[in-house]
Amino acid sequence: MGTSVQITPLSGAYGEGPLCYLLAVDGFRFLLDCGWTDLCDPSHLQPLARVATTIDAVLLSHPDVMHLGALPYAVKHLGLSAPVYATEPVFRLGILTLYDYSLSRWQVSDFDLFTLDDIDAAFQNVVRLKYSQNHLLNDKGEGIVIAPHVAGHDLGGTVWKITKDGEDVVYAVDFNHRKERHLNGTALGSFVRPAVLITDAYNALNNHVYKRQQDQDFIDALVKVLTSGGSVLLPVDTAGRVLEILLILEQYWTQRHLVYPIYFLTNVSTSTVDYVKSFLEWMNDSISKSFEHTRDNAFLLKYVTLIINKDELERLGDAPKVVLASMASLEVGFSHDIFVEMANEAKNLVLFTEKGQFGTLARMLQVDPPPKAVKVTMSKRIPLVGDELKAYEEEQERIKKDEALKASLSKKEEMKASLGSNLKASDPMVTDASTSRKPSNAGSYLVGNVDILIDGFVPPSTSVAPMFPFFENTSEWDDFGEVINPDDYMMKPDEMDNISMLGAGDGMESKLDEGSARLLLDSKPSKVISNEMTVQVKCSLAYMDFEGRSDGRSVKSVIAHVAPLKLVLIHGSAEATEHLKMHCSKNSDLHVYAPQIEETIDVTSDLCAYKVQLSEKLMSNVLSKKLGEHEIAWVDAEVGKADEKLTLLPPSSTPASHKSVLVGDLKLADFKQFLANKGLQVGFHMQIW
Amino acid sequence: MTHATKAIYRLLLSDYVKVSKVSVEDMLFDEQDILRSMDKIEVIDFHQTLEVNGIRFWCYTAGHVLGAAMFMVDIAGVRILYTGDYSREEDRHLRAAELPQFSPDICIIESTYGVQQHQPRHVREKRFTDVIHTTVSQGGRVLIPAFALGRAQELLLILDEYWSNHQELHKIPIYYASPLAKKCMAVYQTYINSMNERIRNQFAQSNPFHFKHIEPLNSIDNFHDVGPSVVMASPGGLQSGLSRQLFDKWCTDKKNSCVIPGYVVEGTLAKTIINEPREVTLANGLTAPLHMQVHYISFSAHADFPQTSTFLDELRPPNIVLVHGEANEMSRLKQKLISQFDGTNTKVVNPKNCQSVEMYFSSEKMAKTIGRLAEKVPEAGESVSGLLVKKGFTYQIMAPEDLRVYTQLSTANIIQRIAVPYSGSFEVIKYRLRQIYESVETSTEEPDVPTLIVHERVTIRLESESYVTLQWSSDPISDMVSDSVVAMVLNIGREGPKIVPVEEAVKTQEETERVAQKVVYALMVSLFGDVKVAEQGKLVITVDGQVAHLDGRSGDVECENITLKERIKTAFRRIQGAVRPIPLPSS
Repeated sequence: MGTSVQITPLSGAYGEGPLCYLLAVDGFRFLLDCGWTDLCDPSHLQPLARVATTIDAVLLSHPDVMHLGALPYAVKHLGLSAPVYATEPVFRLGILTLYDYSLSRWQVSDFDLFTLDDIDAAFQNVVRLKYSQNHLLNDKGEGIVIAPHVAGHDLGGTVWKITKDGEDVVYAVDFNHRKERHLNGTALGSFVRPAVLITDAYNALNNHVYKRQQDQDFIDALVKVLTSGGSVLLPVDTAGRVLEILLILEQYWTQRHLVYPIYFLTNVSTSTVDYVKSFLEWMNDSISKSFEHTRDNAFLLKYVTLIINKDELERLGDAPKVVLASMASLEVGFSHDIFVEMANEAKNLVLFTEKGQFGTLARMLQVDPPPKAVKVTMSKRIPLVGDELKAYEEEQERIKKDEALKASLSKKEEMKASLGSNLKASDPMVTDASTSRKPSNAGSYLVGNVDILIDGFVPPSTSVAPMFPFFENTSEWDDFGEVINPDDYMMKPDEMDNISMLGAGDGMESKLDEGSARLLLDSKPSKVISNEMTVQVKCSLAYMDFEGRSDGRSVKSVIAHVAPLKLVLIHGSAEATEHLKMHCSKNSDLHVYAPQIEETIDVTSDLCAYKVQLSEKLMSNVLSKKLGEHEIAWVDAEVGKADEKLTLLPPSSTPASHKSVLVGDLKLADFKQFLANKGLQVGFHMQIW
Repeated sequence: MTHATKAIYRLLLSDYVKVSKVSVEDMLFDEQDILRSMDKIEVIDFHQTLEVNGIRFWCYTAGHVLGAAMFMVDIAGVRILYTGDYSREEDRHLRAAELPQFSPDICIIESTYGVQQHQPRHVREKRFTDVIHTTVSQGGRVLIPAFALGRAQELLLILDEYWSNHQELHKIPIYYASPLAKKCMAVYQTYINSMNERIRNQFAQSNPFHFKHIEPLNSIDNFHDVGPSVVMASPGGLQSGLSRQLFDKWCTDKKNSCVIPGYVVEGTLAKTIINEPREVTLANGLTAPLHMQVHYISFSAHADFPQTSTFLDELRPPNIVLVHGEANEMSRLKQKLISQFDGTNTKVVNPKNCQSVEMYFSSEKMAKTIGRLAEKVPEAGESVSGLLVKKGFTYQIMAPEDLRVYTQLSTANIIQRIAVPYSGSFEVIKYRLRQIYESVETSTEEPDVPTLIVHERVTIRLESESYVTLQWSSDPISDMVSDSVVAMVLNIGREGPKIVPVEEAVKTQEETERVAQKVVYALMVSLFGDVKVAEQGKLVITVDGQVAHLDGRSGDVECENITLKERIKTAFRRIQGAVRPIPLPSS
């Protein structure tokens, strides 16, 4: 029988919630994406919480909050400890996205669901893969091969192929078949008849066809506002689709010699672009080609200024400008603040480039007609002053004291315990059996036991007289003097490296922009003050689709082309899911499933298969015909059995005749061509039956 | 090649074209040729698996220069590892060569350094920095001839770091002189992800290839030769270009030094000066005394013997092919490897140029039977019939009906219909057909149209007074039957009404049988000579004293000689096929 496959959506089924699915392949449990919304409500993660500890591996597909937002929280609070697999860009940009997310949250609330350290910790488990790298899993997942493939949509975006025993399970969400400025189209089309295809119905109803004109319209809309003295806000994500928009702006600003300033404002904008510059391998062919020929890195931005705080914007005041700011949902982050500032000026424009997440401010503004006014919460983190500061300091002091007390108490306990155990050692002078006799190590020993000296000396009850720790220098001597170990004096190869390694973090420490770092390191006590206010939405609002996903029609044709044996639909509004389900069910061969959240469906293929060995004798008699990349032959064979292995041998008696089989597509047009090549004039009669 | 290799390839060859001083006719290729070749290059990232004609391949980090790769090629399950130039030692910016996950069947490995052993890296680095430090502190100039790309960057990293740690050197400039210096740096600043963890961690702080103490130098015109300095210049062999200009200028002063940082090609000036001759020939043809000190400190990242030996020891390939090395050195390496793997089944070969090494691997061909054919796993002796589909090197066996399900191929039917002019009686056709074919049925589906079906394959209908139509679904036998029917119908038309349909007695079963036996007998005689007819349709065949009994009806053969038995069986099967080319529908 085939490989057993079960799928359970944990979130993002029959709805546009964040993506998170459980896939079990022969008992090996994959978590496909680990998304959260910009609202970050832990209650959304209930289904994940129930299974988090049983997960064997996590596969991430795109570097945005919807695909990996919950990872730090799940690692910290839900006990998710499995290795995580992602491509290099998803790993890097994912960290940056979460930094930005966390910092934006922290500035307006006492955000404590996860910290920057938690993000680093969560990503420490990431195994980074290349596109089309076949990675073999070990132990429990023996025999399973996972491979990321190009998905389009985002830099590093991944379509995952999970293979076991020749059967493929393909997880393809948010793919884009179209080649863009910085990305290649998805490789999904090259997969042939996977056993299971898991894909989203997000865009099933959206038959918006991309036109070249759209870029033009986009720029025209911006220029119109800018020339009339207004400013434009583009709420964007931290490191995903924004890259494409940056390139569009760069291109048109160059072409049209525009001088209006463009700002890219996130907490991590400079490092985002720095990293992106080193990810040329992951971008499309024309970008790498241009780099090979002219050394021009497409992300050496000439017109876009990267900023990490609002100082410069404030200096600029009311002058016309384009601001790209995170987050796309307008819930928190710089985009939120800038929106509030810009909303009540009719000349300004807020242009959404992607559909807002459900329940966010961006979604509210995207309804038609847009609301006249929206309620927003303005929050600000301010340092504590006066009495509050004093109270805080006293509180801290008290906590510190408590901790110190506790620590010293527990240390004493430990001391007693350790001393107690040491009593068993025969030599009472040596308090630690592992003490090395080398003088060079004695120093560190002292440091290690410095507590003894501070906390006072507790004489072991059996010792004759109290004594400070003492180490005898027991160097050996021979006729030539002290015996030395040459290794002690050798310069270690690593030492030289270590010198330069000083100051270079431990690998996981990604670069934080200075401003943000200051903000974080600044441990000055602070608090958050919030006030609700109503903002009059006078500015114009617009929505243009730069989401970089295949539209409904293309999704359907891609599915038809890939022709999976079973199709699982997820992540799409109920309406879209039903629509796509109906559409695909028309094909009688295809089994279509659309599970609800926490509903487990079994998509184990009903494929029967067994393996046989083809004997040399049989193969030498087989005449095969080449057809495209296949070679086909008819075989009649007799089964032989040896050591539980089946072998096909040439038949011993005349095999029953079989109906002849014609393989291939027949086209009359080809026949016509064939006749024409033979010099025969042929034409089609008007009606062909 | 990898992305980085492609970028470097372009630069390195352009650099070569620019510095080589040969005349235009002697030029093997020019800038245009390089550009044209760029379009042909397919890039592959490390570990990315590609498949061409069923041959799969992927590459591992080789640690030699940026972008260097070892390729693993998988042809029908036989794996071949080609190391190219590789180094198992991690240096300042490159990862050490990876140890592949699987052991290859053949390992083609470089042997540049043969049985030699390198000095440890830190010793070499110390010598390097010491020589430079001493020279510049005595007011001398240091020339480092090196290729623009590759090991040069490693040296620059060493120098930049050394300068950072030595305050007193800060006023002494380091120049990285190559017409392509800037572009080279762009490559190194970009492909950070192909380098080691150390560099990537530094990248998190600031790009380590943004050097603090090293300035690019585009040509000698911008170079003010005042006081001590360190210049790294291309080309590495001192044949021509900037490095040669500086060498000519500096070689007479004994305060100056020249550090040759790696492998140099035989016949170049760099190779000559390693032996420290008294005099050298300058580029302008004059002879000058060589006073400058020459140091040879190799930083070329090739594996030495300990590395090669442990690498092979961990990989355990059954076949080792040594390439790229000086002949004597290679034989010594071969001897050492043979003694190392003594007792194991390891073969080591070191072919000469153009000498091919042939190895044969017989791999078991495994096929997967899928779909409805596989509903039941067959027992020994049962037969399996189906389509064998080969794609790449994987085989699948399936029923024709499943072809569409498991592959992109589909099965098809061609239904052919042909109209033949005929104005005679339909009975004539029927009569004639009966004479030829054993099964001719009259169909009564449509009473107004007389219809005949031959062997359930070809349908003949009298459509009107003037023509009959034939319809059949294409396959070799039906095509043949319909051909004969068409020929027959046309013949009747030509012969006219000479033949009168006379109902003849239907041939009896026995009669047919007798005819068939006669044919079998005749053919057997022609094949085996001595054939006698025994009772009950049995034939006794005698060949060279061996006697065989053949049952003319069932085809059973009794014979002591198995070869003869098989021969008779086959012959009988073929004769039967000729006697009854069209299997009867009933059988």
